[in-house]
Amino acid sequence: MTRTKSNKIVYLVALFLFLGGLGWLVLSGISEDSVYFLNVSEALALEPAKREQARLFGSVDAADLRADAQSLGVSFNLLDKFDHSKSIRVNYRGAVPDTFKPGAEVIVEGRFDKADGAFTANTLITKCPSKYKKKSEEAQG
Amino acid sequence: MHLTAYLGLLFALLACLFLAGFAALAAWRDQENGLVVLERGFLVPTFLVTLSSAVLTAALAAKDFSFLYIYEHVDRVLSTFYTFSAFWAGREGSLLFWSLSMMLMGAIFAFSPGYRSLAPRTRLWFWLFFLPVQAFFLLLLSCWSNPFVEVVPAPADGQGLNPLLQNPGMIFHPPLLFLGYAGFAIPACAALASAIAAEPGSWIKACRNWNLLSWIFLSAGIILGGWWSYMELGWGGYWAWDPVENASLIPWFSATAFLHTAIIESRRGALSRTNVLLMVLTFLLCVFGTYLVRSGVIESLHAFGEGGVGSPLLLFMIVSGVVAVLAVLIGEKPVYRSLSDMWSRQGLLLVTSWFFLALGLVVAMATMWPVISKLWSATTVGLGEDFYNRVCVPLLAVVVLLFSICPWLDWKVGLRERRGPLLTLAAFVLALAGFAAGGVTKPVALVAAAGSVSAMTTCVLLFVFVPAMRRTRQSWGTYAVHLAVGLMALGIAFSGPYKVEREVVLAPGQSADLSGYTLTFEKSEQEKTPAVSLVRAILHVTRDGKPVGTLTPERRLYLHFPQPFAEASIIPGLGDELYATLLGFTSETSVSLKVSVNPLVNWVWIGGTLLCLAPLLLLRRRNGGREA
Repeated sequence: MTRTKSNKIVYLVALFLFLGGLGWLVLSGISEDSVYFLNVSEALALEPAKREQARLFGSVDAADLRADAQSLGVSFNLLDKFDHSKSIRVNYRGAVPDTFKPGAEVIVEGRFDKADGAFTANTLITKCPSKYKKKSEEAQG
Repeated sequence: MHLTAYLGLLFALLACLFLAGFAALAAWRDQENGLVVLERGFLVPTFLVTLSSAVLTAALAAKDFSFLYIYEHVDRVLSTFYTFSAFWAGREGSLLFWSLSMMLMGAIFAFSPGYRSLAPRTRLWFWLFFLPVQAFFLLLLSCWSNPFVEVVPAPADGQGLNPLLQNPGMIFHPPLLFLGYAGFAIPACAALASAIAAEPGSWIKACRNWNLLSWIFLSAGIILGGWWSYMELGWGGYWAWDPVENASLIPWFSATAFLHTAIIESRRGALSRTNVLLMVLTFLLCVFGTYLVRSGVIESLHAFGEGGVGSPLLLFMIVSGVVAVLAVLIGEKPVYRSLSDMWSRQGLLLVTSWFFLALGLVVAMATMWPVISKLWSATTVGLGEDFYNRVCVPLLAVVVLLFSICPWLDWKVGLRERRGPLLTLAAFVLALAGFAAGGVTKPVALVAAAGSVSAMTTCVLLFVFVPAMRRTRQSWGTYAVHLAVGLMALGIAFSGPYKVEREVVLAPGQSADLSGYTLTFEKSEQEKTPAVSLVRAILHVTRDGKPVGTLTPERRLYLHFPQPFAEASIIPGLGDELYATLLGFTSETSVSLKVSVNPLVNWVWIGGTLLCLAPLLLLRRRNGGREA
């Protein structure tokens, strides 16, 4: 009988330690690795001081798109998905994905440049042109 | 044909609802002779869904573009092989495939010895849970996700299959996942049934093979998905913690946790209610995965589109979750069996399953974080790849360490063998020192790598020191799986953090250096077929002047798809693997390339293959011996 009781306590203590460790891991992860997930309009609405590391969602503007042929990279205006009058200048250095083109929906990760408010991206991902998407595109018009 | 196929689904839905009502009545009145009606009756909707699926398959074979679904996913130049894979390339087709798999598996289960071994009352309740699940999927197919919509007049040609899906990995990856998802429906319903019918535990034996097979399918699906991502997407990695990938990993973690707690129940008779809940949770997480990628709730790299199935899926999960908890609470409380000492094999198995559940919880939470954080934050906050690596890698490191110790413990308490654990410890310390001397500096990666070495040592030493184990198929299967996990952990611990990658621009004749290798760009060449035109760069690789091989990355332009696609090229190796993607031309002749050296990456695939094959040894005929 006492055996079972002490067993229970051992399990409870272990569970407590485990949950404590897990909680600490998760909390430290959340505080260090949180990234703003923003649409262009949301990013613009943010106070400049609070703009930092972020992941931006938007589409590529056809105008003023400069691809650098010699060194890999591209600069473009990232348009808001719904309000095309809002945009952020994005500078990206690195391999440009195949599916990158005007109008493409892209996700960029990086940080805001404090000086001119442009966004320096270190990753540029175009959305998978999956066939699953067709319907919703048509539905949204 | 369109109408016939659609009516097939509709009548199957009605048949399932009717049978579910019948099952409810029979369960209410305890009429066990109603079982014959249910078992035979279930063949009707199974036949109807099979018929509808056959119509879709025949239409695919004939490339009948009057089917909207076929028009959207196939074109005239697509090879026969890939044309059939279009069955599960889209939302409607993949849901139909899922439903078809569940129906066929249910029909097979109803005539299997495992099912016969359950008490009649449990079987009645099984149908009462299983039939509404089927009806729900058929409802999705007949209302929000109908694969048999007709286009009038029929277009002359279709829109074609996404070139990214034209890869052998992608033919098998989705159906394997769906077979896994579908397979878990049976044990989940049987678990609930046995909780209500007060027949605890028997479902674990009856559904043992279903669980193992579903786990194999799910694992194979996930691993193939990673391989596809590595070979086809051309970004040089296999896992990006994208919501779509996480969606299949979350149920895998809970299924793996269940496989470990199920051992405790069959050996010691404890944890029976926990197991019922874990089993149901696993199936619901499969549905959750579908919800995650099909509802548009999370911004993902893959835009899957909504198509209205989001809310019904959410509702289904909530209702099923409530039903499951109620069923366990209402069901007769099983005879309480206490757990053994923590310092026993059973104790550590339980702790291991905590870790798997924690991993599932962390991944689910982080994937949903953009939604969760909206509760208190005006701007959406998400968690990036760093978060997953920071939290999951330490947890996985502890899992391999736990495994290094666990098999050396006795079921009740203490060590069962002294030399083995000492040698394992020695292997761990040696590996730690060796890797540290070899330049592995990140502490977590170091512990994980050394842990996977000690885990593999454990697998081998067990067979040396415990001769009885050599004689049972069971232990070969079990430890081969764990050896596979060790191999994969080793591969992941190195190929992730120690990958060397460069982006270079080369003119013909120029070379680039990459961690000891020299890559010389010789020339580019062109090729053209009706379906695809491509350019290929030819790179000769040498190390210390000796030739290593030739890389031939390509860029392909497919008919019906305006943008080019990169086709990666590799020089495979058990140590370093060289990997190259052709990004484009920067002038007439010079090319821009992404090249990388991926150390030990192939051990992920070797371990992964073993991981999926070894559990086949664990499958067992009914009337087999004791659970091990």
